Amino acid sequence: MSADSLLASATAPVPKPKSTRWKGFHYLIPILLLLGLFFVIPVLGLLLRSVLEPSLGLENYKELFGSLTYAKVFYNTFLVATVVTLVTILFGFPVAWLMSMMPARWSALVFGILILSMWTNLLARTYAWMVLLQQTGFINRILMSIGIIDEPLQLVNNLIGVTIGMTYIMLPFLIMPLHSTFKSIDPSVLRAAAVCGASRWQAFWKILLPLALPGLASGGLMVFVMSLGYFVTPSLLGGTSNMMLAELIAQLVQSLLNWGLAGAAAMVLLVITLGLYAVQLHYFGRDKHGHN
Amino acid sequence: MLLDYDRLGLLKWPLVVICVLVSLFLLLPIVFIAALSFGDSQWLQFPPPGWTLRWYDELFHDSGWVEAFLTSTKIALIVTVLSVVLGLMASLALHKGKFPGKKLLQALFLTPMVLPVVVLAVALYALFLKFNLTGSMLGYVIGHLIIALPFSIITISNSLETFEFALEDAAMICGATPLQVKLKVTIPAIKLGIFAAAIFSFLISWDEVVLSIFMATPGMQTLPVRIWGAMRQDLSPVIAAASTLLIGFTIILMLLAKMVRKGK
Repeated sequence: MSADSLLASATAPVPKPKSTRWKGFHYLIPILLLLGLFFVIPVLGLLLRSVLEPSLGLENYKELFGSLTYAKVFYNTFLVATVVTLVTILFGFPVAWLMSMMPARWSALVFGILILSMWTNLLARTYAWMVLLQQTGFINRILMSIGIIDEPLQLVNNLIGVTIGMTYIMLPFLIMPLHSTFKSIDPSVLRAAAVCGASRWQAFWKILLPLALPGLASGGLMVFVMSLGYFVTPSLLGGTSNMMLAELIAQLVQSLLNWGLAGAAAMVLLVITLGLYAVQLHYFGRDKHGHN
Repeated sequence: MLLDYDRLGLLKWPLVVICVLVSLFLLLPIVFIAALSFGDSQWLQFPPPGWTLRWYDELFHDSGWVEAFLTSTKIALIVTVLSVVLGLMASLALHKGKFPGKKLLQALFLTPMVLPVVVLAVALYALFLKFNLTGSMLGYVIGHLIIALPFSIITISNSLETFEFALEDAAMICGATPLQVKLKVTIPAIKLGIFAAAIFSFLISWDEVVLSIFMATPGMQTLPVRIWGAMRQDLSPVIAAASTLLIGFTIILMLLAKMVRKGK
């Protein structure tokens, strides 16, 4: 730094910044205008409407938490998010673990598949699942032809469909950060455990799992939070009777024009989401794989 | 032992089986869609009884689909340019600038990434209804830009981490104007980061569904909005063809990004 300033002061034509306290701030003016006008103000406005419309007060929140219809929506949302998180961990953990030790060629292949699936258009993936899971769809026909079931299962237009579709979307978001956690574990720790006479079972529970736990918890929390606010997959695979929170917000606005209640529901979703992200940041630091 | 592939013993096989199953699970819908789009079964039989280009033909002869494709491309290109320019300016300020509240601003810039999109969509919808911006190019661009910017800022900031800002001062001493410094020194040095930011921004806009559904009017629809609308009516193979095009486009861009990264 001192060399720079020395050089700078040694030559005349370098223009001095007008005020050092706000150096470089003017670069931020366009983005601040954009985010201020089209992000901060509209979102705050929406949240404010929850206490202003139709009249000043907490009526909307009372309605949201007091009615059985909305209780069902909250139940669906949390049930799906929980199940999706658990299933994602159950299948993502072994994959991330194996990826961290398999030959580089193979792990690159799995990585490519993860990236491909992640960047495949959301609607395209959801469309595929709608067709695959139909009564006469591929999955039902396969299950029937190998004799696991006699009659086609109802796999779509219910929460099973939503769970399958969402698990599909979330798997890469768990596997990728967890994979880098596994990569960062020093294998010699496990060798040391073996030398000291630990069995595989002991080494897994006492060493590998505790070391992987931060990555697992952080990834799992991220999957849970993202699942809470999903809109497209639940509305296409879930059918009309299995509404989730994001769909409720959209419907309140689009068909019922009840902006006050929509604002309240948005507030609830926002508080939970940002609260859980704060927990994640606090305990696990910044996650480089954070991704929408 | 538990992190050594060759010494896993019997444990290896359940892990390998799960890994293969998960990989197939992840590949299945993508392969499936591509197959359906070329299959000649109106009722989406899989595997298809025969092959045809009929659905693509229908797609390209329907002015609605073609228009949606052009709209999507136009919006994505505008978003890409704006997202890179604004993202570059913000990243430079965050790296080099000195002003109070820097951490807070940085957090603000990344918030659109963690906020549930539906909340932003509904909030913007309210605003745009008031100012008659639904169904306008400007409406789409603003919405997409807000969620593309965090990615642009992250990618460009990452490439700035390794940039030696003393080079800028050196160029100034040699008589370059501040604008020349940016154009001839800073930007060429971080061009890979800028390129990655451009690709991410394009793809985010190109794939965006939730915001677009709220911005859309019958007169102006992006490709995903049109697919969304078609999906709510029936599951025609034409949707598979449109989806395959979306996927194909994405793959081409991803490969391009990879080639550039390798070719540096």
